Amino acid sequence: MVTGSTGMAPAAEWRDVAVRYPYAEADAVGPVTLDVRRGEVLLLLGSSGAGKSTLLATLTGLVPQTMPADVSGEVRVFGEAAASRRPAQWSTTVARLFQNAEETLCGMTIGDEVAFALENRALPVAEIEARMAAAMQAVGLEPQERGRRTMALSGGEKQIVALAALLAQDAALVVVDEPTAHLAPAAAARLSELVLARKEGRSVIVVDHRLDGLVGSVDRVAVIDGDGRLMAEGDPRTVFVTHREALAAQGIWRPVATELSAELAAAGMMLEPTPLDIGEAIRGLEGLAPDRRAAARPQVARFVSERLAQPAQDHGAVAARLEGAACAPFLGPVVLENIDLVLHTGEAVAILGANGAGKSTLGASLAGLLRLKAGRRDGGPGGMAFQNPEGQFVAGSVGEEIAAALGIGARGYDLPPPPPPCKAWWRGRTTTHRDDPGHGAEADAARIAAVLRAWRLDGLAARHPFELSQGQKRRLALACLVEPARFPLLVLDEPTAGLDAAGVEGLSRVAQSLRGRGTALAIITHELDFALATCPRAVIVGEGRILADGPCPALLADRDLMRRAGLETPALLDLAAWVEAIAAVAAC
Amino acid sequence: MLSALHPLPKLVLCLAWIAASILVFDAVFQVATILVAALALVLAERRSPLLVLALMVPFALFGFGFLTTSVLFRQESDFALKMSSETPFGGAALSAGIVLFLRAIACGMVSALFALTTDPGRLIKALMLSWRLPASIGYALFSALHLVPDLAAEARQMRLARAMRRGRPPRRIPGPGEAASLVVPLLAYAIRRASRSAIAMEARGLGARPHRTVTGAPVMGRRDAVFVVAAVVLIGASLAAAAAWGG
Repeated sequence: MVTGSTGMAPAAEWRDVAVRYPYAEADAVGPVTLDVRRGEVLLLLGSSGAGKSTLLATLTGLVPQTMPADVSGEVRVFGEAAASRRPAQWSTTVARLFQNAEETLCGMTIGDEVAFALENRALPVAEIEARMAAAMQAVGLEPQERGRRTMALSGGEKQIVALAALLAQDAALVVVDEPTAHLAPAAAARLSELVLARKEGRSVIVVDHRLDGLVGSVDRVAVIDGDGRLMAEGDPRTVFVTHREALAAQGIWRPVATELSAELAAAGMMLEPTPLDIGEAIRGLEGLAPDRRAAARPQVARFVSERLAQPAQDHGAVAARLEGAACAPFLGPVVLENIDLVLHTGEAVAILGANGAGKSTLGASLAGLLRLKAGRRDGGPGGMAFQNPEGQFVAGSVGEEIAAALGIGARGYDLPPPPPPCKAWWRGRTTTHRDDPGHGAEADAARIAAVLRAWRLDGLAARHPFELSQGQKRRLALACLVEPARFPLLVLDEPTAGLDAAGVEGLSRVAQSLRGRGTALAIITHELDFALATCPRAVIVGEGRILADGPCPALLADRDLMRRAGLETPALLDLAAWVEAIAAVAAC
Repeated sequence: MLSALHPLPKLVLCLAWIAASILVFDAVFQVATILVAALALVLAERRSPLLVLALMVPFALFGFGFLTTSVLFRQESDFALKMSSETPFGGAALSAGIVLFLRAIACGMVSALFALTTDPGRLIKALMLSWRLPASIGYALFSALHLVPDLAAEARQMRLARAMRRGRPPRRIPGPGEAASLVVPLLAYAIRRASRSAIAMEARGLGARPHRTVTGAPVMGRRDAVFVVAAVVLIGASLAAAAAWGG
């Protein structure tokens, strides 16, 4: 048995573990050999579909005992074989926070939810009450909120309640699987802080793509490659530097600060130690000699400007306009009033706000999918990528789904007709489709293959859309919306949720290309860095109305506005502020 | 007021009243039952009288079927009518159709009284604690309660996605074709959602031990005893009224 530094068995260990699901031709993950030491925080990284969640599910025997699969190798938790207990019996040792709390809450009230795991252990009522009170206090819930119905909570509140339930378990090993994917930045930061807070004897395994600013709390990073094998592990400062190119090639998340550090190093300026977040990077820059600092400024300015979307040179025609609109969700009450908003062709606008602010309702109203309760909408029909991609799928396989979207093959569904031939600006020729390869079965197959390739869905044509990973589902839904080029306005609702770094970068390029061909974009997102990279303009939603409408960097830099809207200023803008401060000093 | 009562005595009494309503074939008893339920909702629960009347509509429509059947097919139902007139409380003053009509409303109103004054969470917890309902079934019921609004939200999103493909907003009420096309995707969603809930509950220890603690379950109190006595007296009074003014 492999032991940790203290001589005791590791909190978790996988020895040559490989998992293959029934009827699958390849392993979902593995073989992987990895330890999680007692008391450490391990960040598990990997591209979308790499098998991270499967690997975590083997820890408590959910795979293969609940989800059938062939598991080879050895999985042990605190020295005990995972298979020695039923999955439910591991709840005393391992607590797990799932990605989507909405689907995993089981109690009717907050109190029920927090007490659930403790009740299952048959603990005395007094102990349950004490643990509940402590856990609720830790996450900022008032005691009188115990009786609140969980069904009436917003998405962010549900995730906070799920976290309180996790803390109440007081397990020695905590496993969190992308807990912040659907949360507004302020809520996500709070949740990450609580999960990663140091506690004697507690080990944490975290899978997340939004650790910028919090990666400093991580002791070790393990990276699973696209083939489901361990490609790197070690101290974050080492892994993100020595494996930078390999991580980029695999489309795996890297901290923005290490990217900056690498670019400065290439220009001969070393930041010591290698920064893991923007705050550390700024401190490193401040520590440089004045001449080196001045030399670093243009490099840093370029780094920042590359991550800010450039505004369009001139406004195109109006793609959609809302005037005095009262917006309500389908069959629901009005949530936004007096909305005046204009989107022009070729423009990209970020719709930002806290969970439950009414962003999705505004997006659907803008796309003309919801009837307004008051006011008017002008403009053609818009397309929308919904938060849950599964709701968009209508076909039995990925290939059929794409064929349906493109209006080709046996099933054209009821899509509106393709637009008339137009001048494709990027090639200077007339076409009905970007890669129109002609007609007939072969041409159709080629078009479908091209879409699969472009959206990294190769080899998945025969799979049912529901069998895909979250990231793959998201890419398929976006491909089906974007590729037909039918809508002058596209509303993308949380398009980055579930996507890995490569997926997000690819989506940024697609957004740029769509803007280039005159499509208006409204992007609803909690990823403020993505908003900065794709949208020159932002609309901040809160208090039942539009709080602000203006240039994205300027609005996001307004800390009072951000606080009011339940958001946080992205760290990248701190870097932009540093550049301006240095420039001002130089000018003096 | 009724909402604060322990759900189980309330459940037993409501079931007893429904059973009495079925057994006592008398219009006066049915009217008394309807009045008691309606007054309890209006006076004790502060529900709008209009709402209470609206609640009666579906039960009245259901009961109307009995009435018309009884009138139009009197010859065929002669045996049933004869049997009903021979019951201990059977009444000859009003037609059997009207009694059947009133019985449908009475049973419906007692059910509505229970449903509108009982928190489902408290009921399930009480069933788990007092009547040994297995936790796996109790939490499956909780999960089903969570699923209903989620299913509705999913259906709304699917309808919006389909509306987008058609290029126009969805109709308020889906047509038969659209409704039929939603059945399979919604069923698939419900199955996946239920699977995820089951996995999450298992990961949190449901079923790890043969026994579990139940916190927050309702506790029987003095007012429950008062309620039981009052309800029994009311049933008795209704039966007496039926005997006096009925058949």
